Amino acid sequence: MHKLLLLIENETLKMWKKRRFLVIVLVLLVIIPMFTYAQLTVAQNNKDKFADWRNEVLQQITDMQNRLSSNRIPEEWKKQQRIAVQQLQYYLDHDVNPSSPNGVTFTREFMNNAVGLFIPLLVLTIGSDLVSGERGTGTIKMLLTKPVRRWKVLFSKLAALTLYVSLLVGVMVLLCYLISGMFFGYGGWGLPIFTGFTINGSEVDTSFVHVVPQWLYMLMQTGLVWLSAMTVAILALMVSVLVRSTAASMVIMMASVIAGTILSSMSSSWENAKYLFAVNLNLPAYLEGSPPPIEGMSFSFSLIVLAIWAIAGLIVSFSVFTKQDILN
Amino acid sequence: MRSSKRLGIMIGGCSLLITILMLVGIGYAIKDQLFPSVSAQPQVTALPEQTAEKNQLRIVAIGDSLTKGVGDSAGGGYVKQVVDSLAADPDKQAELVNNLGISGLRADQLAQNLKTDKGIAYALQQANVILLTIGGNDLFQSLQGVGDSNAAATAEQSMSLAQVEKGLEEGLTRLDNVLSELHRINPDARVIYMGLYNPFFDVEELRDGSLEVQKWNERAYDMLHGYSNMTMVPTFDLFEERIGSYLSSDHFHPNHEGYKQIAQRVVQAL
Amino acid sequence: MEQSNVVLQVTNLSKKIRGKQIIHDVSFEVRAGEIFGFLGPNGSGKTTTIRMLVDLIKPTSGKIQICGHDVQKQPEQALRHIGSIVENPEMYGFMTGWDNLQYFANMLDDVDEARICEVVEIVSLTQRIHEKVKTYSLGMKQRLGIAQALLGRPKLLILDEPTNGLDPLGIKELRAFVRMLAGEGISLFISSHLLSEIQLMCDRVAIIDKGRVLAVGSVDELVQQAGTYVLWQLEPREQGIALLLQGGKVAIVSEEEHRIDESVLASMPEAVVTTMPLEDIAHTVSRLVAEGISVEGVHKAAPTLEELFLNMTEGKSLA
Repeated sequence: MHKLLLLIENETLKMWKKRRFLVIVLVLLVIIPMFTYAQLTVAQNNKDKFADWRNEVLQQITDMQNRLSSNRIPEEWKKQQRIAVQQLQYYLDHDVNPSSPNGVTFTREFMNNAVGLFIPLLVLTIGSDLVSGERGTGTIKMLLTKPVRRWKVLFSKLAALTLYVSLLVGVMVLLCYLISGMFFGYGGWGLPIFTGFTINGSEVDTSFVHVVPQWLYMLMQTGLVWLSAMTVAILALMVSVLVRSTAASMVIMMASVIAGTILSSMSSSWENAKYLFAVNLNLPAYLEGSPPPIEGMSFSFSLIVLAIWAIAGLIVSFSVFTKQDILN
Repeated sequence: MRSSKRLGIMIGGCSLLITILMLVGIGYAIKDQLFPSVSAQPQVTALPEQTAEKNQLRIVAIGDSLTKGVGDSAGGGYVKQVVDSLAADPDKQAELVNNLGISGLRADQLAQNLKTDKGIAYALQQANVILLTIGGNDLFQSLQGVGDSNAAATAEQSMSLAQVEKGLEEGLTRLDNVLSELHRINPDARVIYMGLYNPFFDVEELRDGSLEVQKWNERAYDMLHGYSNMTMVPTFDLFEERIGSYLSSDHFHPNHEGYKQIAQRVVQAL
Repeated sequence: MEQSNVVLQVTNLSKKIRGKQIIHDVSFEVRAGEIFGFLGPNGSGKTTTIRMLVDLIKPTSGKIQICGHDVQKQPEQALRHIGSIVENPEMYGFMTGWDNLQYFANMLDDVDEARICEVVEIVSLTQRIHEKVKTYSLGMKQRLGIAQALLGRPKLLILDEPTNGLDPLGIKELRAFVRMLAGEGISLFISSHLLSEIQLMCDRVAIIDKGRVLAVGSVDELVQQAGTYVLWQLEPREQGIALLLQGGKVAIVSEEEHRIDESVLASMPEAVVTTMPLEDIAHTVSRLVAEGISVEGVHKAAPTLEELFLNMTEGKSLA
């Protein structure tokens, strides 16, 4: 047990010294202020245009309804708009601002938008070379000729990866909050957020809707973000075990994540796409009550699909890694 | 050496803490999504009352596609032009609170929205000027697009004209509902109602539609007169004989020039 | 009793990769305190065999025991007793030498900082141990690799082509270092494709070619077996040859038959290549001189590795 801890410490320090995480933090330090600025401009515009958020939401609803009456808009898109209208209406009826400008709301929305593509890509930069990178440099030989069983080596890598995924999510939330808070204020933890919208076709069933304070909503949402990031991480680990070159392993994972994003935004008629992991990554959308990208998907469905992918990924990783011959 | 050990423990500790937090979050999310507690359903809260400042014109436009500005190549319709020309006048501070025009809206739908939608009520309460267009869709829905097509469907059209006559009574009842809802929501604001016009004045078979329009306008004026804060701006005279230059290509909605004419009348009325 | 003396025992080792037999039934043993050479040309299966010894590749059949522990069944106990560098000494370039050693120490039992200092001292890297490995020269990397291999106080050190890429001075240092380690009781397993290398460093040797062990034995014995050529540079040449052959103990080897290193031949132009009992050389020289032949040069040439293989495969096919 002590040995295993030492191995995890090894991997953790090694990843730290590789400076990958530092790069990620720098990327965040560039991107978050950009989004903050964009959000600030929008907020400024709306402030000039509308007396308060209720008018803004009302105008949003009216605009959406007008767009809905156009014949040129595809039915799929209309469905989403209709759902969005009903949800906005619900917020308006209950006098709750769905996007009040403050640090916490910004963070929530940033994470919400990052879960499908941005976070997976960041996770890939730390996960994709875990094994293939060591093969590339030949250091894997040093690792595996030590009197340590191979599953322990891989387990220590998985544990370190988990720690870094957590750290990534944590740092991201923290940076978002700190940076956006400078402009929007640091309040908003207690704001009421509605969750529990259930979607039937294009109708929103509000019978299960209930209020949660924003801090709890954030906790739930970040947990789900973490869960989908972990699935990506585990699959990246698997690919890096299977593929010898880091570049190839990176490309394979990026391609699948991006393909997933495209598929889910196409609301494809290819229904079996819902069994792909990348289509199911957007777990926070269920909290928010957005319609699922493909008919027949639900919160529990996505959880189960991701769990199956992750478990399969772990089984493949460990069984291949412990048996495979290191030939180069 | 020792310092790297300490670094490891620090990274590990922070990450572990976050991991635990994340797991708690997932637990909550699963509980919340799969076993929602219905007891926590939120109460519908009343929207806050508005206190209006008197010296300023706060305009809410509500109604159908004319309010939305359909047909205006510059966008914005008469509402934007009204607000713009008022804003140009330094004595009158004018501000558009909301433009709530929705294409294709009928008077019965509007009445329903006014009755139930708290957001609309909220916006209307903020206003001291309410611009309203409604009724066109109630009266002419069966005839939209007629002007473009050739006269092959004449029989159908005359039948439709009969429908227009029939729709008149019903539409006026709906208008009455709309007006009373408006009065309930904001009894103080000036309500300016745009009278209807006959977009088919140049279509021989439908020229008689103008008579129905006139009946509507007359009766609508009667209703408006019952409320001290409501007035009507006639528009039918603007379009007769000038259909070609004031109507847009869909032969139903005004074009930019047409809207300009309406806007001028509104400004005069104010 | 003899069993405990054996550090590494390889029995009937075979490996098939994608249906192709790479290693055929290889057996040998390495005894405590000896320097064991593993000689074979490139592509002969040396590296594959070494990778099986250190558990990087699983054998298709056969057994590897290190200090009595089966590498397949008890990898942790078996690998504890060996230190190895497989091919190049690859370390994490973005970490310092010390961090690398600390890293590997964490993977071993009972290796503390004092031990790390000790091995750093042994390979004389103390000066630059806190610099990043990517700034090291190849020789320094090699030494860091050895330091890493020594960390766990191994009974057997496996070095795969250790002289590759080293300059002559480095090679000389390495030889001295290997001797020093052997003197401390560590067994060494050194692979090479150069016979001279093995001759200079090893006590015993296994010769491998095309995945088969051709011979195992002491280095001297093997070289002896292969026979040594004696090159004569005589003036006048024809007379000298006639005199050489008189004794009946000397045989001329034609140019087609012998395989002597080109560089040796170049330094002795017009040389006559012979085989003869080595103890007769002095006597033959005086005989030639007495007959008025000037002996401009005599040279003993070891057979090349190629020669050795040829001898062995011939011997095998005859047997």
